[in-house]
Amino acid sequence: MSTVDDPLERLEFLQGTLEVLILRSLQLGPNHAYGVTQFLERQSESEFVVDNGSLYPALQRLMQRGWITAQWKTSPNGRRAKYYRLTPAGRKQLVAATSKWRRFVEAMGRILAPEA
Amino acid sequence: MPEWWSKLRRTLSGRRGLAADLNAEIESHLAFEIQENLARGMSPDDARSAARRHVGNLTRIEERAREAWSFPRIETFIQDLRYGLRGIRRSPGFSLVVIVTLALGIGANTAIFSVVNSVLLRPLPYPAAERLVWLGESDPKAEGISVTWVNYQHWRKENHSFEEMAGFHTAHLTLTGRGEPLFTRAGVVTSGFFRLVGAKPLLGRLFNTSEDRPGGIPTVVLSHRFWVDKLGADPRVQGAPLVLDGKPYEVAGVLPPGLRFFSPPVDFYLPLAQFDGETFDRGRHGSMRLVGRLKPRVTLAAALADLDLIMQRLAEADPGPESRHRAYGIFLAESDTGEIRPTLLILLGAVGLVLFIACANVAGLALARSTARAREMAIRTAVGAGRVRLVRQLLTENLLLAALGGLTGLLLAEWCLRALIGMGPRDIPRLAETTFDWQVGIFVGVITLLTGLFTGFAPIWTAGKSDLVGALKDGGRSATGGKSGHAVRGALVVAEIAITLALTFAAGLLVRSLIAAETANPGFAPEHVLALELVLPSASYSSPPAVEAFYDRLHRDLRDLPGVTAVGAVNCPPSAGDCGDWFYSILDGPAPQPGEVPIALFNTADRDYFSALRIPLREGRGFSDTVQRGAPSVPRVAIVNETFARKWWPKASAVGHRIKSGGPYRDGPIYEIVGVAGDVSQMGLDTEPLPEIYLPFSQSPSGAMVVMLRVNGDPQSLEPAVRRRVAEIDRNLPVESLRPFERSLAATLARRRFSTLLLALFAGLAMALAGVGVYGLLNYWVRVREEEIAIRLALGAPRPAILRWAGRQVLQLAAAGAALGMLAGWMASRWLESLVFGVSARSGATMAAAAAAVIGMAVIAAAIPVWRATQVDALDQLRHL
Repeated sequence: MSTVDDPLERLEFLQGTLEVLILRSLQLGPNHAYGVTQFLERQSESEFVVDNGSLYPALQRLMQRGWITAQWKTSPNGRRAKYYRLTPAGRKQLVAATSKWRRFVEAMGRILAPEA
Repeated sequence: MPEWWSKLRRTLSGRRGLAADLNAEIESHLAFEIQENLARGMSPDDARSAARRHVGNLTRIEERAREAWSFPRIETFIQDLRYGLRGIRRSPGFSLVVIVTLALGIGANTAIFSVVNSVLLRPLPYPAAERLVWLGESDPKAEGISVTWVNYQHWRKENHSFEEMAGFHTAHLTLTGRGEPLFTRAGVVTSGFFRLVGAKPLLGRLFNTSEDRPGGIPTVVLSHRFWVDKLGADPRVQGAPLVLDGKPYEVAGVLPPGLRFFSPPVDFYLPLAQFDGETFDRGRHGSMRLVGRLKPRVTLAAALADLDLIMQRLAEADPGPESRHRAYGIFLAESDTGEIRPTLLILLGAVGLVLFIACANVAGLALARSTARAREMAIRTAVGAGRVRLVRQLLTENLLLAALGGLTGLLLAEWCLRALIGMGPRDIPRLAETTFDWQVGIFVGVITLLTGLFTGFAPIWTAGKSDLVGALKDGGRSATGGKSGHAVRGALVVAEIAITLALTFAAGLLVRSLIAAETANPGFAPEHVLALELVLPSASYSSPPAVEAFYDRLHRDLRDLPGVTAVGAVNCPPSAGDCGDWFYSILDGPAPQPGEVPIALFNTADRDYFSALRIPLREGRGFSDTVQRGAPSVPRVAIVNETFARKWWPKASAVGHRIKSGGPYRDGPIYEIVGVAGDVSQMGLDTEPLPEIYLPFSQSPSGAMVVMLRVNGDPQSLEPAVRRRVAEIDRNLPVESLRPFERSLAATLARRRFSTLLLALFAGLAMALAGVGVYGLLNYWVRVREEEIAIRLALGAPRPAILRWAGRQVLQLAAAGAALGMLAGWMASRWLESLVFGVSARSGATMAAAAAAVIGMAVIAAAIPVWRATQVDALDQLRHL
């Protein structure tokens, strides 16, 4: 048997990826934690499942590094929620991290590509 | 940096606000999910529970988020510490036993370590002390003999290995002209000595090179203590005269306190070359030894090889009896602790083993407790405590207990140390200066940490293995749950028994040695003897007739004292050690090879010495008065001891044979053996006798004699009368010492008594701790089996069968421990050989006695639990099942 991925098994986040993805999700505009999980699951076509036990610590870490800020606001449907927003430093970090991830993915792809 | 700062700020500024914020955020998160689920058409209840499930374990989310914005380690540590303190308060009995046990172990270890640190480890208080070397000469028969003046000069000028070298020896001089005549001790040193030991004058100056040569101005440098005690710390002492042995010396300077190169300490220092005079005879040995500082990165072996090369050159240029002499050297740090080193290391090892037993006990206790706590641990795991978190908490608890034990131990050690210094023999260098310093602090910290880790390993080990469902279901009531734990405890107790046996064996050997030494026949009758030690100053007693006249008169005057039955004098009394040995040969025997010339102790005794001390004459006759004053016509005579006679004439009589002093290759007089005296313990009560030659005082008078007075009744009561008689003959003559001879004899066993007492104390402590260990183990074994015993009884098992069952447990433990312990003791016995006297280090009887004691201890310790096992009330137990 060759090792074929079980398509039902969700992917786990690699170390450090969640933080980049959170930054990316906030690029479109401020959002709350639930909104971030929704965005990530939708964009990954449900390949990623966001564990809240990882999400909240990651948000805390991003705040500590000054890449995002948070503010309590009322959502369009009238609920109060904590909205996270990218700071200029966070924007810069996202650009840097994105290009780094591209190179990483390409390199991985080249190595893992089947022999021509 | 800002990340670190925000963490710190939040850790410090309380977490309540943040926790509330996080809670609100997760609440809102839940609300969004519920709303979504409702929108999908779920019932409100389903929507809520589905959202809950989806969001996950709220506590865990919160905990992990909090870890992100704080220092989780510090916080958990503080929390663990709080839990630990709570746990200690909750089980005060357990905690008290643990703290006391560890305090005993750590305290004893700290006290002994601080002594080892001070005596053996702390560097000597000299500049670059680690490179200082004690130098002597050696020949094929002896090591560390004195260095001759000629050799010293060549070594000093021709070596390539030493930065500096200085000669030293001690001398006794009488100080007169300042009140009572005073017997003083001088350090006789070359001028480089003070530079080597880093001494600077407090007042005045030290020797200059013009004084350190024959014919220089006689000067003296005072020790601080002598200056304060005897000269009233007179600030104008420089240039003042000091009359020593009738010769005026000028005070050059005073040293600061603290220079302790010589032991016992000296009163002042004299320039060596001036004091001894120079000789150009390479074979002329005085008593000078050298101290030298190696150049950096030169090894001692290389330095000695360097000196040996010089010795070879000298031997080729001037062959003679000195040709086979070589350089001998050891590091100064070892030279004065050489004898005490093995004793202290053995004591340190023994006390370390005691600590191991203490730790094993605590580990066993903690293990039993952790089996009882299995349910608590299971509940903690069930509510989400991670394995790592649990282990960390248990470890913190143990370390906390160990730290409390360590602190208590430190207090205990302080007290023990004072007792140690108080009862320790005076001749252990630097013992009295022992204090707690940072090395001792590090030592306590390290052993406390190790103790905490060691005693913590067992509960942690079982915590990892806990069977969650089983523990929750039967609530830790089953005995089988702790089976592996019990095996570990059993192994610990076996180790305790084994170690205790080894320690008891060692202590037994030392106690037997001490008894052997104390009851050893010293070869004479020491009771009712008053010893008067005198050294006649050579200035006023320069000729042999003057010395003889003095002692003749003293002899007569003392003999007349009421209560005195006999008076005899000797140069080197029993147990005084080595007062001088020299080469000799037997004239009618084969001549020894140059390197094989034998050595014997040379002593001087007067006519009545042997009868006064009741040393038996085995053969021939004693000294008589008829052999007078070495007149050429009268042959020189000698008395040898039994060991000497047996060595050369095991089957025949020694009387009539002739000895040549110095051996065949050196000049020396010839003596005819006229008698054989019984052996006396010349080197100490716990030593084997060495060959010894006594010369008659009448033919070889010596100014330094110990006059022995055999008296009726208490020798001490005669002391004032004896002092008066001495002063009547010469009121300028100081009495070096005057005390009952038995007391000086007992002092020679002080070290042995000290080490024996300590080792016996440690063995006793080990015995008590191991007893507690056996008791604890059996007690637990019975407690968890009460139901099983009740069922056995209910099914008809007789009570003796229960006794046998429980008894077998004890005996198995004791037998395994004893077997291991005997093996360990047997293997360790060779370390003890140097300390053992009058009994074999592999004494089977001692081993058997130690084994019996340890097995007896185990049986006694287990008696109460085993008895309780047989007293289980079957009905009562079964009712509660």
